[in-house]
Amino acid sequence: MEAHSATPDRGRVNWRIWAVVPVLLLAAVVGVVVTAGSSLVDLVGSNPPPADQFDIRRVEFSPGEIRIVVRNPQRDDLTIANVNVDDAIVPYEVDGPTTLGRLRSSTIVVPFEWVEDDPISFGVTSSTGIQTVKEIPAAVATPEPSAKGFFGYALIGLLVGVLPIALGLLWLPALRHAGAVWLATFMAFTAGLLSFLGVEALTEAFDLQASLPAALGGAGLVLLGVALSFLGMTALAGRLTGGAAASGLTLALLIAVGIGLHNLGEGLAIGASFALGELQLGAFLIVGFMIHNVTEGLGIATPVAKTRVTVLALVGLAIIAGAPTILGAWIGGYTSSDVLGALFFAIAAGAAFQVVVEVGRYVARSAPGGLRSGHAIAGFIAGIATMYVTGVLVA
Amino acid sequence: MAKGRLTRGRLLAAAAPLAAVPFVGKVALAGDAAAGGHDHSGHSPERMPTSHLKGTMGHAAMVGDEAPAVGGPTDLDALLYPPPALPYQPGRVREYTLTATDADLEVAPGVFFPGWVYNGTAPGPVIRATEGDLLRVHFVNGGSHPHTIHFHGIHPTNMDGVFQIVDTGGLFTYEFEARPAGMQLYHCHSTPLKKHIHKGLYGAFIIDPKEPRPPAKELVMVMNGFDTDGDGENNFYTVNGRSFYYARYPIRIKRSERVRIYLANLTEFDLVNSFHLHADFFRYQPTGTGDHWEYTDTVMQCQGQRGVIEIEFAASGLHMFHAHQSEFTELGWMGFFEVVD
Repeated sequence: MEAHSATPDRGRVNWRIWAVVPVLLLAAVVGVVVTAGSSLVDLVGSNPPPADQFDIRRVEFSPGEIRIVVRNPQRDDLTIANVNVDDAIVPYEVDGPTTLGRLRSSTIVVPFEWVEDDPISFGVTSSTGIQTVKEIPAAVATPEPSAKGFFGYALIGLLVGVLPIALGLLWLPALRHAGAVWLATFMAFTAGLLSFLGVEALTEAFDLQASLPAALGGAGLVLLGVALSFLGMTALAGRLTGGAAASGLTLALLIAVGIGLHNLGEGLAIGASFALGELQLGAFLIVGFMIHNVTEGLGIATPVAKTRVTVLALVGLAIIAGAPTILGAWIGGYTSSDVLGALFFAIAAGAAFQVVVEVGRYVARSAPGGLRSGHAIAGFIAGIATMYVTGVLVA
Repeated sequence: MAKGRLTRGRLLAAAAPLAAVPFVGKVALAGDAAAGGHDHSGHSPERMPTSHLKGTMGHAAMVGDEAPAVGGPTDLDALLYPPPALPYQPGRVREYTLTATDADLEVAPGVFFPGWVYNGTAPGPVIRATEGDLLRVHFVNGGSHPHTIHFHGIHPTNMDGVFQIVDTGGLFTYEFEARPAGMQLYHCHSTPLKKHIHKGLYGAFIIDPKEPRPPAKELVMVMNGFDTDGDGENNFYTVNGRSFYYARYPIRIKRSERVRIYLANLTEFDLVNSFHLHADFFRYQPTGTGDHWEYTDTVMQCQGQRGVIEIEFAASGLHMFHAHQSEFTELGWMGFFEVVD
């Protein structure tokens, strides 16, 4: 017994040592490579010089002043040595360090009488003479955070997010009279709609990560967001249904969450583009978003067509699906985090795809003829087509 | 797009023995415009407005300490003030030694350009001879590429600096009679020509007439540009190698005194450069030859063109001068004469 119990004990100690050994060896090898790194490079050639390009993240315009937020996207230090506005050297101050370490940011403050609505370009030159140029198609004053602005973005979010979904939900009384075939068609329509939103969000996420510095971007960031939200939504669905396929109010809630996460990204895009002077917010665009989004309400209403739901529950669904637009507009309008932007859109994509799966399972089970039926296929295609056609209004 | 760019290590190791290139780390434009009195005979900023950056926009009005220029008030004196003209004397030999090297040039505060230079600066030294002198220029190539010196003027073709390529470590002596009188210039003629000129291998070459010009305060201005990021467009424009230098250190002139400026254009990439004087007119003699003088306040030169300007300033005060290409002006080619009674 003594010997018997000692052996697993020693085995455990050994196991622990062996678990640490690779880490220790790795540390040792890292040490050797770091100290002898340049002679290693010399064996194969020489390193190219660093790109020395800044990442100009954001330009803010206020009366008589321009603020340029720059980041060092590379491993080597990068020094701000000269600043041009429209190909003219200008006086400036740096709010933050002048020599930027890896991924560090500073704000260049330039006193400048810029011309409203005119194109304007900026050049930031490193100590090695490399100029990074950023062109702004039209200079417009950057909105300052204010009660009025907050209210304005909230109102815009309400108009393009909450209102059309609420209107879409008003199809519910009509839906109650629809037959099983029609309901299945509408559910397939919702799946098509969500697929469209998912692909749209995924594209946006990839675009945003592509514009990030290599150290921060990468398709992995998007995959991380998609996986997080897809699996998170799967867990949520499992919790709500106890493992069964979602239906009724639960399915409506999942659809609302999926649409809501997408609308967070949509609000973010609207807010950020407007703040950067890249978007003309007009009645036409807002109406376009309303028409684009009204079918989202239909998607949420369909699963509860044959279920008893309170008005309060419907209001809750509309808020879950629509209100994130407001939040997104605030975030986009007043902050700038391109990493968060890419992550948000990836999360929206993952959620949308997960809800497509949930809706698919529902249609497979409840629709006459299942997923292969003509009306399910037609509904799915119609969902995509509708989003595509109404999407033209906001392009 | 061969960007022989410098690393931080090279940055620190380079330059010191080659050129008087002070190491200035950073431009702090707005905050540090304290009223500093630089004391130097040629430049006197004591009457300069000291701090109006907060109030004005752009560099047209920037003068004195606010102008973002590299170095101290006397750094470019050897390029601005030519050696004196010598009276004609038959059979005289004038000897110069020019050494080509690679050098990191600080062309604007904190901005370093990996240049190729004669005797440490771009433009290179002013070569001066009197018509009829035998000119002997010893060329040492201490740079990392083959170079030559091609002089403008009249000389044997085997002294033309086109076929006599001097490899790294090599020597060559150019020997010819200095003629004709005028404002000439010299530059490297190795290929690729565009790169060898734009990197900084050029300078002024004055040949004085046998019959001397009237006495005057003489200045040399070589207009140039620096494409620091290798995209085929200049990022900085200067006279004598540092952007906004004469805005920071205005050139002091006595009113009514005759001023003679030997002006040349060695700007690469751009079709023309120009010189425009504010608040007065000058006489301009193209190439510094012949009897034709133009009376104007603006002259234009293509690359390789040059001429002689003469003026007696009528009034005291700050007279701006700059390229009349606004872009060049705002990228560093701007300065002031401070005319005093």
